[in-house]
Amino acid sequence: MSDPTTTISINALTKRYGQTPAVENLSIAIPKGSIFGLLGTNGAGKTTTFKCMLGLARPTSGSVEFNGQPLSPEMFEHMSYVPERCALYEWMSGAEHLEMQRRSFKQYDAKRAAQLMDMFALDRKKKIGKYSKGQQTAMALVLAFSTHPDILILDEPASGLDPVHQRHVLDLVIGEAASGATVLFSSHQIGQVERAADRVAILHQGTLRLAGEVEQLKADVKVVEATFDSDAPSVNGLQSDPAIGYVQRTGKLLRVYVRGKGEEIEKAIAAKSPRSLRVLDQNLEDIFLSTVGASPSNESEG
Amino acid sequence: MSSVFTVDPHSGVPIYLQLIEQIKRSVALGVLAPGEQLPTVKQLATDLTLNPNTVARVYRELERDGIIETSPGRGSFIRSNGGVGNATRAAADVAAAAIDAAVREAKSIGIASTQAHDLFRRAIARWYPDHHETEDRSL
Repeated sequence: MSDPTTTISINALTKRYGQTPAVENLSIAIPKGSIFGLLGTNGAGKTTTFKCMLGLARPTSGSVEFNGQPLSPEMFEHMSYVPERCALYEWMSGAEHLEMQRRSFKQYDAKRAAQLMDMFALDRKKKIGKYSKGQQTAMALVLAFSTHPDILILDEPASGLDPVHQRHVLDLVIGEAASGATVLFSSHQIGQVERAADRVAILHQGTLRLAGEVEQLKADVKVVEATFDSDAPSVNGLQSDPAIGYVQRTGKLLRVYVRGKGEEIEKAIAAKSPRSLRVLDQNLEDIFLSTVGASPSNESEG
Repeated sequence: MSSVFTVDPHSGVPIYLQLIEQIKRSVALGVLAPGEQLPTVKQLATDLTLNPNTVARVYRELERDGIIETSPGRGSFIRSNGGVGNATRAAADVAAAAIDAAVREAKSIGIASTQAHDLFRRAIARWYPDHHETEDRSL
């Protein structure tokens, strides 16, 4: 468990609220310098995972380690967390929050904070209560990035921001990671995750469904698509092949979602003399949707 | 530099391959000259909003392919010695793959080989206006 290249390790984490499981037996290792994207639909367990990691919720079982150690108060010196719901004081101004940050963190960088305030066009004299929702998110991000953290945990960091500011957030994340920080973030914007993250995990209904390097996950899945002159035939062996994600049959169209290169399946389908046959790549959004079972109606073979 | 390359993360083609192909193409076309310095990994990652590890991988593979050379502390440069030749060969491979994909697509939608030949002849006549039909008897 004490792999020196692993900065964050989540070990068999389980959290139940009463009888209701929120996260079940989740294990993830996040290497140093990685930008790790956590994907999942609402209620998948992302926020619960973050809370358990940061000591804001007590895990039912399992553990979380940072650089091989359980969470301790000193670690917060080198860590920034931006929760999904803004946790700032509405009656305080932006400037007062910066001052509080300066007093709390040795590595607080006033120059950096000023650049970030300008980047997000935030008025430091205004009370947080007068900020828009997007500005409140931006303020939380300014505070998070002002201390040059080694570990950044961001829950939906771009929510409520306009596209320009969303891009700024990604660039900040990328800049920190390029300087050696380790970043864990959740997002519904899969396109952003696809750009910024080198690794992702897909959570669904509290369990880990898929995890790995983004490029590898993309390389690992293909769609073999065939059309026929009449209704798509049944292809023997498809349902028992472990490489098959699922099979979609709509009239003359046959689509098979495959793990691996799909060459065997392509050959098996070619033997049925389709009118057309091609192998398609998948992007992260396709992979996500098929992993959480939200893709075009699943139809089992035979 | 930021305007030279673009990637489409939504494409199924891996981002690092898209970037490798673009850099090879730029070197083959002389947009990036031998001896020219490439941005740092951090700089290019932020310019393109891409994961730094992805960019680092691109540089590693370009170095392995003899397109760029990296000296610790100084940065990465287009190789003066053979970089252009290697990039030109690599760009030709990309063109070959694109032609292969086009023929495959034609076949997949049921176009007969004679018709595919015809499409090719038309494309060549369009893009190589000086080309004469008799020349390709030798091919």
